[in-house]
Amino acid sequence: MSAASTASETRTVRPEEPGKARATIGAIVLVALVLAGGYLSNADWGKLPDMFTEGGKYFVLMLKGVVQNPFSEPYSEYWTTALGGMLESISMAWIGTMIGAVLSIPMGFLAARNVSHPVVVQVTRVILNAIRTLPELVFAIILLLPIFGFGPNAGALALGVGAVGTLGKLTAEALEGIDPGPVEAARAAGAPGSAILRWTYWSQVLPEVLAFWLYRFEINIRASAILGIIGAGGIGSVLSQAFRYREWDFIGILLCVIIVVTVLVDAVSGAVRHRIIAGSGVSEAKVEQDGATL
Amino acid sequence: MTVAATPAAPARPRKPRPSRVLILGLAAVAAITVWAGWEIDFTLGPLFENFSNGWVVVEQFLHPNWSYLGNAWTAWLETISIAIVASFFGVAVGLVFAYMASRVTNRSTPLYRATKWFLAVLRSLPDVAYVLIFVALVGVGSLAGILALFIFNIGIAAKLTAETIDAVDQGPLEAADASGAGTFARARWAVQPQILPNFLSYALYIFELNIRSSVVIGYAGGGGIGQLIQVQFARFNFENVSAIVISMFVVVLLIDQLSQHLRRRLV
Repeated sequence: MSAASTASETRTVRPEEPGKARATIGAIVLVALVLAGGYLSNADWGKLPDMFTEGGKYFVLMLKGVVQNPFSEPYSEYWTTALGGMLESISMAWIGTMIGAVLSIPMGFLAARNVSHPVVVQVTRVILNAIRTLPELVFAIILLLPIFGFGPNAGALALGVGAVGTLGKLTAEALEGIDPGPVEAARAAGAPGSAILRWTYWSQVLPEVLAFWLYRFEINIRASAILGIIGAGGIGSVLSQAFRYREWDFIGILLCVIIVVTVLVDAVSGAVRHRIIAGSGVSEAKVEQDGATL
Repeated sequence: MTVAATPAAPARPRKPRPSRVLILGLAAVAAITVWAGWEIDFTLGPLFENFSNGWVVVEQFLHPNWSYLGNAWTAWLETISIAIVASFFGVAVGLVFAYMASRVTNRSTPLYRATKWFLAVLRSLPDVAYVLIFVALVGVGSLAGILALFIFNIGIAAKLTAETIDAVDQGPLEAADASGAGTFARARWAVQPQILPNFLSYALYIFELNIRSSVVIGYAGGGGIGQLIQVQFARFNFENVSAIVISMFVVVLLIDQLSQHLRRRLV
């Protein structure tokens, strides 16, 4: 009887849909969290429409500043100030990256499990994690302003200290991922410890580490603008000043400079990073050819 | 005589000369560094000259005023609320942009290019610029912080998710195309199930970032714990600032741990 019924069934039974209970509970918890957050954040939600009414008005004012003839007063001065501030921000980011890079090399070696003693590794990792937890702004406030005063010098140092945390961690991870073959070869040939570190460990991680430094430089350009609001100079200081006086045409020019320069620097740094990681390829062959013909 | 008998050691291969690109690169780096250092008047002198000045402040930092944390916890609640609301909406909108910024899901080239450009512009501004803009638009307070982080999060969420969409397995996409699915059905049923774990883990990462940037947000007028730090710092109450900074340390570590635990379960 049962055999007859299965024979007559031409279609297979559709599998039962998997339960959705967990996803539903997750969604309900999430919505509850967001609603609670919206209430507990003390945000004045009634002001939300202002964003659109005021926003449109100010956007037009900003745009007016950008499209004015940049060689007429006072716009020529605005553009010069904006470019000067951006240049200062980039310098701050560069020096900060350099400080962070130099300090992160020893920290990276100390934090790599296949290089250092386990106790040293643990201690170094705790220090690096502590640095990564706190934003640069906190370093700037606590350590640098009392000693170095307000200015780009303090900003660069804060960026440098902040960069040590991430760069040290990434360098350590790169060192742990190297191919052990060359290390063994160098050791078998009787190379001293310093030579092993320099020619087997460091040579293998160098491209990756250089790419991290460049990436950190891109991050530091944005971070230097942040430091500007506590008076560390650069485009951030100019920007917060402009907002204080509500000079919307100047603000438009400043934002325009920040966007264009950041996108350009990101593009250049991204291309260099790609070249470092992906290796020579076509361009290197061309360089060699040129050398041969010379 | 015996010396001649032993075969001469093979000549050591000559060390390759450093390439021109390397020399030019190093020279460029050195030049930029010198120039940048001059531009910002870089000096380490104050570290030795003003160390005693700084030490007075550092000493105050070493004696945190723990009782102040009683006032700080409402500000912390505000910061965490801001981060939750901003990352929820930022990530949700970011997902839509991510679909538009990947060739896998967006088959219109002009729209794809436009989205990529828009996102690059969005990401090029630092979070503090958004806070300043929204403080000017809606006034000082946590609404400005929420809106600023919301816009900021869209850029990051869209970039990370778009990269994941680019690397998605082609099989389900082909199946969807073969069964005649439209653009939306394709994105929803062939792509979204594949990227969901990664997407949720990016959402948690963005939430962490938002907690970390709370100092900046508050300093620029966006509410939360940063505002408290700014007020206490301006009054030179370094003992109170120190207590807040230590509490920040603890909160960030706790949230990192929680989010790492959740992410490990997701991916």
